[in-house]
Amino acid sequence: MTVQGPDVEIRGAWLVDPAAGREGPGDIIVRDGILETVTWLSGAEARGIEPDGVVIAPGFIDLHVHLREPGNEDAETVATGLAAAAHGGFTTVCAMPNTDPVLDEPGVLSRVLAAAAASGSPVELLAHGAVTVGRAGEQLAALGELADAGVVGFSDDGAPVRTGSILRAALAYTGALGLPIVDHPEDAGLTAGAEANDGFVATVLGLRGWPAAAEEAAVARDLAVLGDVVRDVPGARLHLTHLSTAGALDLVRRAKAARLPVTCDVTPHHLALTDEWIAGARRWAWEASGDPWADDALVAGPYATALRVNPPLRTPADAAACMTALADGTADAVATDHAPHTEVDKAVEFGAAANGISGLETALGVLLAAVDAGRLTLPRAIAALTTGPAGVLGARSRRGNAVGLVEGAPADLVVFDRSERWTVTPDGLASRGKNSPLVGLALSGKVLVTLAGGRIAYEAPDA
Amino acid sequence: MSIPSAPDATTLDAGATAAVVPSVDVAPEVQAVAWRHRHLLDVDGLSAADLDLVMRTTDAMREVLARPIAKVPALRGRQVTILFYEASTRTRVSFEVAAKNLSADVVNIAAASSSVAKGESLVDTVRTVEALGAQMLVMRHSVSGAPYLAAEVFGGSVLNGGDGWHAHPTQALLDLYTMRERLPGGPAEGGSMAGRKVVILGDILHSRVARSNIWTLTAAGADLWLCGPATLVRGFEAWAGRGAAAGRRFHVTTSVDEALRDADVVMALRIQRERMAAGLLPSLREYAARYGLTRERLALARPDALVMHPGPMNEGVEIAPDVAAGSQSVITNQVTNGVAVRMALLYLLAGTHGTGGA
Repeated sequence: MTVQGPDVEIRGAWLVDPAAGREGPGDIIVRDGILETVTWLSGAEARGIEPDGVVIAPGFIDLHVHLREPGNEDAETVATGLAAAAHGGFTTVCAMPNTDPVLDEPGVLSRVLAAAAASGSPVELLAHGAVTVGRAGEQLAALGELADAGVVGFSDDGAPVRTGSILRAALAYTGALGLPIVDHPEDAGLTAGAEANDGFVATVLGLRGWPAAAEEAAVARDLAVLGDVVRDVPGARLHLTHLSTAGALDLVRRAKAARLPVTCDVTPHHLALTDEWIAGARRWAWEASGDPWADDALVAGPYATALRVNPPLRTPADAAACMTALADGTADAVATDHAPHTEVDKAVEFGAAANGISGLETALGVLLAAVDAGRLTLPRAIAALTTGPAGVLGARSRRGNAVGLVEGAPADLVVFDRSERWTVTPDGLASRGKNSPLVGLALSGKVLVTLAGGRIAYEAPDA
Repeated sequence: MSIPSAPDATTLDAGATAAVVPSVDVAPEVQAVAWRHRHLLDVDGLSAADLDLVMRTTDAMREVLARPIAKVPALRGRQVTILFYEASTRTRVSFEVAAKNLSADVVNIAAASSSVAKGESLVDTVRTVEALGAQMLVMRHSVSGAPYLAAEVFGGSVLNGGDGWHAHPTQALLDLYTMRERLPGGPAEGGSMAGRKVVILGDILHSRVARSNIWTLTAAGADLWLCGPATLVRGFEAWAGRGAAAGRRFHVTTSVDEALRDADVVMALRIQRERMAAGLLPSLREYAARYGLTRERLALARPDALVMHPGPMNEGVEIAPDVAAGSQSVITNQVTNGVAVRMALLYLLAGTHGTGGA
């Protein structure tokens, strides 16, 4: 592999191109930022090139990140968030509007886009606008103006669209604009004061239960409202983000079978981590028994606040349901819900800690752990980070629909080495949010180079 | 980390009869005690041998308390800070008396009168009390798990005096001690806790006392029953199911008759008014009528069954006044034993981490 400025030449790697439905040995050459040639190797040239070494894939797209600017730059800035994205292999990220002030009018969007330009990062920053003014759930935000200014969807994330009636209006209005509502499904009436998934672990630890029903009731509401709206506004579209329960995914599976225009994503942490981690277990969801006290699985102290997240980490069965949904296409994408927080907001009692996991830089490693364990195929993992989210975005990324290894286009790709493990450390994260429950653990698939829009977004120091 | 199952629990009882009373008149670190825990944050990590050592050390402390001057120099020169973020009289005073009986210097901090009210974080508060000389920290907090955070930053030993709904280790240990001491045909009379029916009655869901007692009583081999209205025992059936698979069996029921029938011990828990506001109970009156421990209900238990309550009591709600003050009640013994158990734990923790520092 050689990297010289915008020129990159990699021979004998494993190429994964979900857009082309293809993977295999190959070479790539990037000249002046343009992906000049993609050569698929066969026969003797391909011999010995396996998918367990250097892999080249299209740059990843994250539908759901929190970059905290404006308003909470101690936790993250647009610049540090984009650096974290590049380090994680992402070349397009969609920022949530729950900033301070809320991104509910074009002026705030301008500030965010100006910060992205000033950062010099080639990572593409897209934004969701708020559904309601101040995310207060009462009055529609400047939806049309925001659409004109370039938002890719609308969300009151951090909280659900508060009432069925405002959701109904928003789905109709934005449907006519050709943009989706991205909802965070949570029935707040069931989660007041909730700390951890309502179940065995929360019972033992004395944590206030966060029932799966809170998510499922909200998903059911959203789907019912969507079904109602879509009869009059065929363009209405709903995207449900960070689904975490078997029941919620089942509802989406059935809605898709009924041809409702709904999509959804799951997060890496809900695929691979469980509520057992709060008790002190540190094993992947597919290795979990559900009773970490019974089988000596408690290797860390309990109540680590890096694990406090909304929705909460669920049971091994829920994590398995997320994996199944990803495999069968019920889940369209993996989104990180990257939620950086300051030390001050996390170095407190579990019940007082801010919700959220810093996830951009560990998403690939977590998915590769699932691939290594045979729970997910490599092409499906890559598709969930590329063509899956691109499908949700439509053609609103600068890449349009060309989310693949496309010759002649500006290079937008990630190169990682599955044979190289790296240990997650606070200093090793480009994000200001060091709130990763994976700190101290080793992940495979170290990112060597990320190219975004034809420029180097990230290059490993020793690449 | 798992609590050993019944076979080990019989060792616990056998060990008690052969108790070697530690000499508590000397500083703990000069004795070769087998205690290896720096903190006492929960009871889930205590082995049968640990429990046995706590029981034996408590015997020794009971002997100290029986002296004309109930004081030993074991913790002379040690500073014990009692940091309570929740209102409490009995537990706080019990710890204070225990520490003073061991000649420790005691600093009391009630959250309402400290800088906590000004928004200081727990971590800052713990660092401050350590800088002020605290070597042992006794802590109560309304958020489950808070003592684990304190233990991460505190250089000495942290003793959990109750955290949220999670754990109340000294209460469970004093409850176990009291049962072992008072149960007819129990360990103090050469018998065992194994198979003895112990009922915890009331608001299990919000109870750190119940949670800690699940660990200690299943470890001791007791036939443990949790009983309360469906809204207040919810979730424990799943725990019981897993516990059975792991050899730490207990039962959950909403039927007070089923629970009390032939019981050896009945422990009533306090019902708080907030439960009505949260929609978990229709009224205190209805609770008292359906679950209150009355003389008539107690008649379902064995005639010599023990009546216990961790306090403070709502007499006339979860327990009738004549039951609380009746001949079967060992509630005041619990209070006395509480001092002895807390002396034992301060003593044992001082032995493993006597002088503070990392």
